[in-house]
Amino acid sequence: MSHWQTNFDRRRINGPEESFPPVYDEEEDQDVFEQQWKEGQPRLGRGPREIRPIYFRPGFISQANGSAYIETEKTKIACAVYGPRQSKSTTYNEKGKLNVEVKFTPFSCKRRRAPMRDAEDRPIATQIHQALLSSVRLELLPKSSIDIFVTIIENDGIEGCIAAGSIAASAALADAGIEMFGLVVSCSAAMVGKEIWLDPTEDEAKAATATFVCAGMPALGTITSLWQNGRLTPQESVQCLEACQERSTDIHLVVAHGLLESVDSSDG
Amino acid sequence: MISISKSEKSYIQESLRSTLAFREDGRGLSDFRSVFLETGIAPLANGSARVNLGKAGQEGGGGTEAIAAVKLEVEDVQSGDGVDGGRVACNVSCSPAAYSHISSNALDNLQHDYTTLLHQVLSHPTLHPKNLGILPHKKAWLLSLDVTILSDAGNAFDVIFMAARAALWDTKVPRTRSIQYAGRKSVQTPEEAMDVDGNSAGPSNFNTRDLPTATDFELADTWDEGEPLEGRERWPVCITLNIDSPVHYLDATLLEEAATPLRLLLLFSFPSSSSSILQSMKLLGPGELKLSEVTGHITDGEKYARTLFNALESKLRDEDLRRNQKARTKFAGR
Repeated sequence: MSHWQTNFDRRRINGPEESFPPVYDEEEDQDVFEQQWKEGQPRLGRGPREIRPIYFRPGFISQANGSAYIETEKTKIACAVYGPRQSKSTTYNEKGKLNVEVKFTPFSCKRRRAPMRDAEDRPIATQIHQALLSSVRLELLPKSSIDIFVTIIENDGIEGCIAAGSIAASAALADAGIEMFGLVVSCSAAMVGKEIWLDPTEDEAKAATATFVCAGMPALGTITSLWQNGRLTPQESVQCLEACQERSTDIHLVVAHGLLESVDSSDG
Repeated sequence: MISISKSEKSYIQESLRSTLAFREDGRGLSDFRSVFLETGIAPLANGSARVNLGKAGQEGGGGTEAIAAVKLEVEDVQSGDGVDGGRVACNVSCSPAAYSHISSNALDNLQHDYTTLLHQVLSHPTLHPKNLGILPHKKAWLLSLDVTILSDAGNAFDVIFMAARAALWDTKVPRTRSIQYAGRKSVQTPEEAMDVDGNSAGPSNFNTRDLPTATDFELADTWDEGEPLEGRERWPVCITLNIDSPVHYLDATLLEEAATPLRLLLLFSFPSSSSSILQSMKLLGPGELKLSEVTGHITDGEKYARTLFNALESKLRDEDLRRNQKARTKFAGR
């Protein structure tokens, strides 16, 4: 890996130049999907429109202004919000700036990710930024910036990371007491055969002909971000969007409930 | 994105929203600027195209200009980065000359965002050309598509995807033939092994037929550069809807882009006159949409995209004719 050399950081304990994931026996769970699922079969483990259970807890990083942790089975994301604070740049900005930074932990994927900024972080960060941008009242915060740090502790597919990351970031903003028009929740979908599977895992997304991620504010009925990639007819695309929107209401309930609970416990 | 004053911004927005929409260059809301397209502009590439959007006449300057070129490289599947059946890698670079108003750091990010979108869309398995494999489990082509933006006068997304589609359309994959070296089966006696001249008189050990156990390949020597990419009709076109609710318009100039909060990118391809495929969709910018608005935009976008797709397709077929058939007759007539 040639790019690794250029990112060489002497202060770290550097492992060997090349590393490979361990090879497991076939019955290990990472191969279950490939072995058990064949094209045309119904979804394994849950219904096509079912999402994985969500564990959500705000306010667990005490030094940050706001924070949130979200877990949906194998996707685990921590998010911290700092700000609003004075913008570091010297130029005058009439509106506040929203910075999103996404980091994968080195152990978050099947193959080790070197602890350096790499190519996949920025697309996720821009997607989360897009999802949040119109929900935050940045016009009230001139000359300031809000920094959002998203740490992906365990990764189970990019779509899930974008969706869960957006939810965690929006909840952390709410936890920080930053004014917003509404909570942003996000839901992903995959088109497998002729079926729409909501909240796909990495394996399911790989088997899909198209993936779909949308984010919005269910309280206002608006969509703030759309990202579809793959072969869909326009009608199927709208169906995906509708399915995601429908499920967003449930996710919104979970997140709002979690936020309310944390307020109650801190008061009492 | 360039920065404009508030009064400029509201002037542009007001004229777009007025009942008789007015744009600075006099176009209607769904009018494109003129598109100039030429394929085969890079002789060393396997396929290339140059697209200019909004140039003032054939000899004039200005407009958004992009060059796309495809290079094919052989990759080893077992020891290298290669993937069985070949792979597609896309890259967009923005000339600093076109973006003198933004810092080099911001330019990097912009390039990166363009690259991500182009790569994610075009390297999707549903678009993968089937003739990028050379030897199963051994060798495959790496198709690198590089787009360079030479100047930006707005609507870079549509231009990037137009140039990419044209370059991929133009791409010729060299014909290959599998070969295998088969050792002699018979046990050689010491005398035979010594007889060096006798060996050369025997039948060649190279076998150039299609063999399942082929270990290497050679380039077939043909009159043309190769065969076109499989499924070249599938590559999508991009249509950017600039949304300033309740209106939307196409092909924004730089000023209009700076004055419009929301953009919806729709990437369509049309396998037949009755069916359509939405290959990708992306929302950009601060702003929000209702579900019903999205549905309406997709329907409108499909209509615009079909017009663009058909126009591009007829131009590309025209270019094929110009570069192959007409070039041959011209050459023969000399």
